[in-house]
Amino acid sequence: MTDKRAETEQLAKVWDNPRGWRALSDVNNSIVGLWYFAAAFAFMLFAGALALIIRVQLFVPDNTLVTAEFYNQAFTLHGTVMMFLFAVPIFEAVAILILPGMLGARDLPFPRLSAFGFWCYLIGGVFVCGSIFFNAAPDAGWFMYPPLSTEQSGIGADIWLLGLSFIEVASIAAAVELIVGVLKCRAPGMHINLTPLYGWYVLVVGGMILFAFPPLIAGDILFELERLLDWPFFDVTRGGDPILWQHLFWIFGHPEVYIIFLPAIALLAMIVPTFAQREITGYSWIVLSALGTGFLSFGLWVHHMFTTGLPSVSLGFFSAASEAVAIPTGIQIFAFIATVMLGSVVRSVPMLFCLGALAVFIIGGLTGVMVAVAPFDFQVHDTYFIVAHLHYTLIGGMLFPVMAGICYYYPLIRGKELSRAYGIWSFWLMLIGFNMAFLPMHLTGMLGMPRRVFTYGADRGWTELNMISSVGAFIFAAGFLLLVWDCVRPKRHQRDVPRNVWNAGTLEWAARFGNSWGMRSIPEVSSRYPLWHDKDFLRKVDEGEGYLADAKEGRRETLVTSVLDAQPILVLRVGGPGWLPMIAAGGLGAVFIFMAFKWWLPMGLGAVVFLTAVLRWLWTGTAEIPEKKTKDIGGGKRLPLYVSGYKSTGWWAMFITMTGDLTAFLALLFGYFFFWTIHSDFPPPDMFGPGWFWPTIAGALILLAWALTLGARLVNSGGQSSLAQLFLLLGVLATLGGGLALMAGPWTSDLDPTAHAYPAIVWALVIWILAHLATGMLMQGYGFARLLYGKATPTHDADLWNITLYWHFVAFSGVLTAIVIGGFPYLT
Amino acid sequence: MSKEDPVTAEARRETGSGTDLWSVIISPSIWALHFLVCYVSAAIYCQKLGRDAPLSDIRLLVIAVTVIALVGIFWSSVRLWRVHDRSLTDDDFEYEHNTPEERHRFLSHVALMLCVLSAVAVIYVTIPMLYLESCR
Repeated sequence: MTDKRAETEQLAKVWDNPRGWRALSDVNNSIVGLWYFAAAFAFMLFAGALALIIRVQLFVPDNTLVTAEFYNQAFTLHGTVMMFLFAVPIFEAVAILILPGMLGARDLPFPRLSAFGFWCYLIGGVFVCGSIFFNAAPDAGWFMYPPLSTEQSGIGADIWLLGLSFIEVASIAAAVELIVGVLKCRAPGMHINLTPLYGWYVLVVGGMILFAFPPLIAGDILFELERLLDWPFFDVTRGGDPILWQHLFWIFGHPEVYIIFLPAIALLAMIVPTFAQREITGYSWIVLSALGTGFLSFGLWVHHMFTTGLPSVSLGFFSAASEAVAIPTGIQIFAFIATVMLGSVVRSVPMLFCLGALAVFIIGGLTGVMVAVAPFDFQVHDTYFIVAHLHYTLIGGMLFPVMAGICYYYPLIRGKELSRAYGIWSFWLMLIGFNMAFLPMHLTGMLGMPRRVFTYGADRGWTELNMISSVGAFIFAAGFLLLVWDCVRPKRHQRDVPRNVWNAGTLEWAARFGNSWGMRSIPEVSSRYPLWHDKDFLRKVDEGEGYLADAKEGRRETLVTSVLDAQPILVLRVGGPGWLPMIAAGGLGAVFIFMAFKWWLPMGLGAVVFLTAVLRWLWTGTAEIPEKKTKDIGGGKRLPLYVSGYKSTGWWAMFITMTGDLTAFLALLFGYFFFWTIHSDFPPPDMFGPGWFWPTIAGALILLAWALTLGARLVNSGGQSSLAQLFLLLGVLATLGGGLALMAGPWTSDLDPTAHAYPAIVWALVIWILAHLATGMLMQGYGFARLLYGKATPTHDADLWNITLYWHFVAFSGVLTAIVIGGFPYLT
Repeated sequence: MSKEDPVTAEARRETGSGTDLWSVIISPSIWALHFLVCYVSAAIYCQKLGRDAPLSDIRLLVIAVTVIALVGIFWSSVRLWRVHDRSLTDDDFEYEHNTPEERHRFLSHVALMLCVLSAVAVIYVTIPMLYLESCR
């Protein structure tokens, strides 16, 4: 039989983390996850410091500590950083770090994509945060309402728009990675009903990101076009409407609250059973409530816009949905409480934070039900009552659970234990400080104090309440810092913790600290809590009796299994360390950052770097033809090393990415019809164009390009590679023609995008499609080259499948655009 | 389906894909469509006819859409209701065994509960339309 020790050494060699300065080229989830985590916390401390400045400024009336301008920048950046650079990324960080272990995978399916996302996030985050040191930070509030932000803000608004658009790339990358991870990378036998609840939540949240973030990206595009090129989407004097921004922002913004809340509450679903020492109660109820919350959270966005003067029936719909979402949210809380009550609770620091989270979140939820009632909201809108409400939901629903998660997972990630005394002190300081800071704000708000004022008069009667809040904020900060110190203080002389220190039942605790490949071998899973139910489990894993106990070919490998029943279907070779993700992120970062300053040349160079890096990455590292067809994974099973189409992870990644992309397109299209709704004459009578002729030609050519691409895949799988190459070349020409024809419509009819919102939105749609056609051309060319150089063959055609899938989406949105801009003006 | 002999039916239940993830999200998707149709149609109606317009016409539309949505959810529920709602292995609602059969029952249970939630949410959303009089 094989030598077990040699196997382990081989695994260690293959999965070894690069050292020295090369450590930065690492892509393994255990390292990238930690970087993500550290960066998110650094940004959090920065935004927390801003919050303390705010609280000091409000400590006494008529304070002159900071100027109004600085105060505007401080609260804008506080909100922006906490939401975009802490709350969402911390989900990505935790998921990247622990999800593979939970699912029994060696790594996520696209490690280099995680690394790329991380670098995007870091560069964008530093860019946005750094602006305040140059007195150039965004200053119009974290939701950037026009016309304030379009008319008055300086470069800050551009920094906000471009920096955050860039960071959204990281979120979408993480969504792709995590959805595919949960669906396809579970250990064999981990049927969907045995998947850890955290996996379910990640799946739901990944799906939500695909529908929530793209509308904001669409909004950002419109916004930036207005700021950069003076296209009047939000300018009332030229047919625009600021309410459009509010819609696009909150279609993102409300689900985002749940995107933040669900993965944090998911940590409770992992922690509570461990300390109750029993299985979770109502597993299927929690899954149902996660799914239900995910859906209903999209029907709430107008409750941020109750005072914009929409018809009361619209408010009614959103008010009703806002009340309805309390049902699934409540269900999961009851399930946790039931688990605690039925189990015998072990007293511990993570459990303290869990209970604190439930208490604080429930208060925030109750005030949420209050403000969901429109007439009540009219009274407290934009007052400190709202500030109190949102901090109760976010700190109870996100920060406390994340703190619980840190205390819980620290031993797994770092191999040492946190101090119990520090933890208890930290918890009580945070809980007391938090309530002291934010409970009085309900009153301050109802006494009429608006949010975002940099000072107030002594005669208002808000002084004492503000003083209490400020003192509370500092106590809260002290508790938080205590925990941070506990995490970073040197622990060299401390004993290593034993494996599975909390006696948990889930799979991530089967890993030993200090290696990056997860488990010694991938086990067959037969229950939700394998470590509790199978006493022999760890021994089997450790002695390499599971799958993929070896890495003979010197490649990093993980198993891909089927979606529902987790039957093994493929050995997936994942990427190892490399610089390309970082270089690509740097190039893309340059594009976004230099655009803010309108430095076109460096921006162009950034684009070239980005494209070159991505193409090289694809060419050298994806859809590689393996040296043999199948591989023995142990236990007498042989699995293929290459699959294409919907069996492959790459196809799903493309599908998920393009779903998000389609959502962004639909958001732009929503803009078109939004303008139609608010104008009695749309298009305006003096603007005819783009006419029906050119859009028809464009639609036909785009369809042709699509057919040629699909045809290329079909004839290639029939064995005719050279015909496929010809099809792809013709496809490039058809695409080029389609793009030119689409542009010819508005061009020849003299539609001036700066004149009115109508030509502007037509051009915006056209540009969107043009960008996609250009990418489509690049892909057709890439497919051609792959076939030419034998990197794709009739039996190894994953590239062509993915390109075709991309084209399905582009053809749909291209033809729809042609129909809308060409045909709709004739209907009105 | 009724012509299948019990053994084949059993085998299909055990190994077939049964309720999958797409059918779990049918009913919440119906809710989402219903919500969109209600909101978008009312918004356009009120924008085009002005704030004093009575809601009578659009109310009929919303009620009709609500009926369709509820029928859709009901149909989805009936389909799921046929799946025995308890685990066959130990007759509970935990669904913690590692068989395709158990997974099928689990997803059916989740989907059925989502039907209930979606129906409640659909009715909630319709209520404002029933008592409001005009676009104001």
